[in-house]
Amino acid sequence: MLYDLSLHMGYLYDAPATNARHIIRVLPLSLPDRQRLVAGSLTVSPTPGERSTFTDFFQHPASSVFVRASHERLDIRMKARVQVEAQPIAADLSPLLAKLPDELADCWSLDPGSPHHFFGTSPRIPQEPIIADYARGMAGEDRTVCQIATALCARVHKDFTYDPEATTVDTTPKQAFLLKRGVCQDFSHIMISALRSLGIPAGYVSGYLRTIPPPGKERLEGADAMHAWVRVWCGDAMGWIELDPTNNIAAGTDHIVVAYGRDYSDVAPVIGVLKSYGKQQTIQAVDVVPVG
Amino acid sequence: MGKKPATGRKLSAEAGSAADPAFGYRAMPDIADEMVDTQGQVRPVWQGLLSAISRMTEQELHDRFARADRYLRDAGVFYRAYGAQGSGERSWPISHIPVLIDEKEWQALEAGLIQRANVLEEVVADIYGENRLVRDGCLPPALIAANPEYLRPLVGIKPVGGHYLHFCSFEVGRGPDGNWWVLADRTQAPSGAGFALENRVATTRAFSDIYAETHVHRLASFFGAFRNTLQGGKHSAEDRIAVLTPGPANETYFEHAYIARYLGFMLLEGEDLTVFNDRVMVRTVAGLKPVSVLWRRLDASYADPLELNQQSHIGTPGLVEALRAGSVSIVNALGSGILETRALLSFMPTICRHLLGEDLLMPSIATWWCGQQAEREHVASNISRMVIGPAYSRLPFFDDNGQSVLGSTLRSSAKVSIADWLNTDGAKLVGQEAVTLSTTPAIVNGKLTPRPMSLRVFAARTADGWEIMPGGFARIGSGDDVAAIAMQSGGRAADVWIVSDKPVERTTLLPAEENFTRNMPGSLPSRAADNLFWLGRYIERAEGALRILRAWNARFAESADPKQPLLANVSDYLAALDMDTTEAVPESLLRNIDSAVYSASNIRDRFSPDGWLALNDLAKTARRFHERVKPGDDATHAMTVLLRKLAGFAGLVHENMYRFTGWRFLSIGRYLERGLHMTRLLGHMSGPDAPDGALDMLLEIGDNVMTHRRRYNVNTARLTVTDLLALDPLNPRSILFQLNEIRTEVEQLPNAFVNGQMSPFYREAMRLHSGVAVMTPETMNGDVYRRLENEIERLSDILAQTYLG
Repeated sequence: MLYDLSLHMGYLYDAPATNARHIIRVLPLSLPDRQRLVAGSLTVSPTPGERSTFTDFFQHPASSVFVRASHERLDIRMKARVQVEAQPIAADLSPLLAKLPDELADCWSLDPGSPHHFFGTSPRIPQEPIIADYARGMAGEDRTVCQIATALCARVHKDFTYDPEATTVDTTPKQAFLLKRGVCQDFSHIMISALRSLGIPAGYVSGYLRTIPPPGKERLEGADAMHAWVRVWCGDAMGWIELDPTNNIAAGTDHIVVAYGRDYSDVAPVIGVLKSYGKQQTIQAVDVVPVG
Repeated sequence: MGKKPATGRKLSAEAGSAADPAFGYRAMPDIADEMVDTQGQVRPVWQGLLSAISRMTEQELHDRFARADRYLRDAGVFYRAYGAQGSGERSWPISHIPVLIDEKEWQALEAGLIQRANVLEEVVADIYGENRLVRDGCLPPALIAANPEYLRPLVGIKPVGGHYLHFCSFEVGRGPDGNWWVLADRTQAPSGAGFALENRVATTRAFSDIYAETHVHRLASFFGAFRNTLQGGKHSAEDRIAVLTPGPANETYFEHAYIARYLGFMLLEGEDLTVFNDRVMVRTVAGLKPVSVLWRRLDASYADPLELNQQSHIGTPGLVEALRAGSVSIVNALGSGILETRALLSFMPTICRHLLGEDLLMPSIATWWCGQQAEREHVASNISRMVIGPAYSRLPFFDDNGQSVLGSTLRSSAKVSIADWLNTDGAKLVGQEAVTLSTTPAIVNGKLTPRPMSLRVFAARTADGWEIMPGGFARIGSGDDVAAIAMQSGGRAADVWIVSDKPVERTTLLPAEENFTRNMPGSLPSRAADNLFWLGRYIERAEGALRILRAWNARFAESADPKQPLLANVSDYLAALDMDTTEAVPESLLRNIDSAVYSASNIRDRFSPDGWLALNDLAKTARRFHERVKPGDDATHAMTVLLRKLAGFAGLVHENMYRFTGWRFLSIGRYLERGLHMTRLLGHMSGPDAPDGALDMLLEIGDNVMTHRRRYNVNTARLTVTDLLALDPLNPRSILFQLNEIRTEVEQLPNAFVNGQMSPFYREAMRLHSGVAVMTPETMNGDVYRRLENEIERLSDILAQTYLG
């Protein structure tokens, strides 16, 4: 599939902001044999006095911008054309859960794709006994890691209600878990927390989702803003798979990857520190148009 | 030493005899001792000190210790203790008897630690670089990946100059076999070197004669060498070097200020810094100035809220960006804290062999990471000889607030659950051999008593490689339990003397050359200027309030009727300042003084200890008076005492503070507040409707009763009082005097002229001064005072915008 993507994020400040420094992660990644960024651009207004690009630990080309002058709003616009390749159906090559620790122990690597980074806790995903209890029932002795992950994805989708009003960007996995509602970020955090509690490495994927459904299909949830889903390490042979608990599907050609991380904090589209008094309003608009 | 001991009794009297060379001192069985060997013989390096002490009466020893304590008090040495009642400053707990170590033994220890520092440098370079140690199987990836000190944004960023580590310390202890062990590596922001210097000065106050006769290695050259290293990191002569501190709430802030002052570096907090065009700049009153070397005393994850801990309020956004651009050297590199991980100790022997092809010269305390099966089983089956603690802890087991469990204290039923615990949470746990540390003598209840000891040794990178401080920071337990070494649980600190059998070289930090250049003080950081300005304002505000309260209470003592028109009038005025005259020493006066103390506490590096003590004394006295002083005569007297103490502080500042930019901000703060005070007061009390006695009271508040009599030779009249208190340029309390002084100071500030033209602030100060200078007493009225008050406030705002933002 070939897509034309556009994103607009706007920040409106009650009181003028100065000395604003932001790190932006919104451009799609290029992933061999899966996704190719044909062209992409990122504009920021007002024009930043300083701007640079660096590759972050998880290999996203992040942009760093600094707007020193006083401003009442900041607009970030991204446009990109992306080619997404359909993936062959993967056979379940994953080990039984009990065998996973050995495969993990045999992985002597700290590369960005190493499962060791996606284990235990991370800044936004602490240990949550309540989520661990929830996950415990999913692990059967005769089930493979891939089966457990897929079942958990379906379970989260069934047990939680998609509700953009219920949570905010700062909601913790536990809060969302207790509310039984939330958006893609909450669904993903809960599923990652559950997987890690079972000893399965799991990470966070931020990206875009096709906004116009193919003929005869319903529009997927989460298409009006940036989307998020989960990647799961299924052992050495199978590697990583990506599951979308918000829609209970595997990530396919409708999913366009922007960044990988341990949780939201690693991949947040915009992280900013600025000097201002008062509140801010945020607007976000996404368009993902198939062009062939 | 609480109560005064009986005099005349000698320390050694109980057990001392010629046949007992250790004077009754008995080491504990099976534990090494610093002073006596296994045969109970006093080690040669200790003999001089011990025989000198044994000749002293208890009184003499008491007097000597008191000299050391007085030094520490006068120098204002403190640390911050955290407890149930919040945190507070504690006086420095010194154990007066130094620890003496033979130079020859020390040299072996030095060699071991230099090797270790080199290994640690390679380890951290590998963790943030190529990851060979993980690939080669020397370091489990899980131990790194799950480590909170593994800072992913720093991966791949090579430090300027090539080195990650420049200043480390090692916690070492001596085991029962007499050999030294490394208990912990400190690479994040090692503290204690400054305290070691203060311990040295204090201890030599107590034992100056003995110190002079003993060949003790001096500490100064170590600091000189490290200062040179840091100066070598500058890009150009005008670049700055700074000590980066988390701020006054930190446990060891005293040391940050002390080190900065001792080495002549700026002391900065995260908010003093900004990153501009990929360079780290300090905000100063003369604009942004480049900083190229930061000796950080703050934990790395707090250093940049943008790319590291997003919750941090004490960091500098963009610092990691500047590191990527290679424009700043941070000592030690951000991320180096990972080397402190307790579990890493268990991999050090393998790593050393792998990297250097040699064995560790000095062993670490035996440690097993329970994330591996064989190690876990070893720990489980030897549980009674183990201390179990958190794998990622960066603190040694005896200093981690009780997070570690001693295996031998567990009941046998608990040991089963320990095995379960190790199986489920193994990756988060380490077992360490439960060691006993050596003991060293401390004076307890007037007797030399063995106490467990650990030693912190400091290493600094110099052009010629690592240099070890010849001395250190010994921590002495409060009881015979090893866990009582932590100062938070009552442990004490002692000086460490490395003793040579030959005379030692004496060096100081002062340059030896006959020719010198006079360095101009660097630009004043805006935050420091802000604190000085507000210190001036708060002090003056307190003084203004004290003068009014004194005058009010003196009159109240005579009439005892608060409804009397003059008293009621002044009560109204004070109420507007949030002061209630039913309180003799109002709460809000205390808040003013506390605010002054707070402002001063933020700039300890710029203050003499004398000034600091005087200010604290004022605050303490005011609190005491608040508790017990009654309105009237009692309060009048109390205000006089407080005014005298305040004048003492002001006098110390006036007589001793170097006349440069910092002084000007302090002075402008005082003049501005004094001008405001007099303007408001005249506006309130000099009108035609003012109650009887108001003009006399004004003169009293302004300390001008005599001057008025002399100059005008008439009874107080509105015009003469106005002339003297508002418009007399020679009266140090008049409004015009303040404006004149402000103008003079402002003229000397940086950027007073921009391209030959007056800056907006200078122009405003000038305009305000001229405006008042041409007034006559007849034209002064309530409206004029009100306008003037607003204009002075505005001047303060413009100053803040121009210099303090």
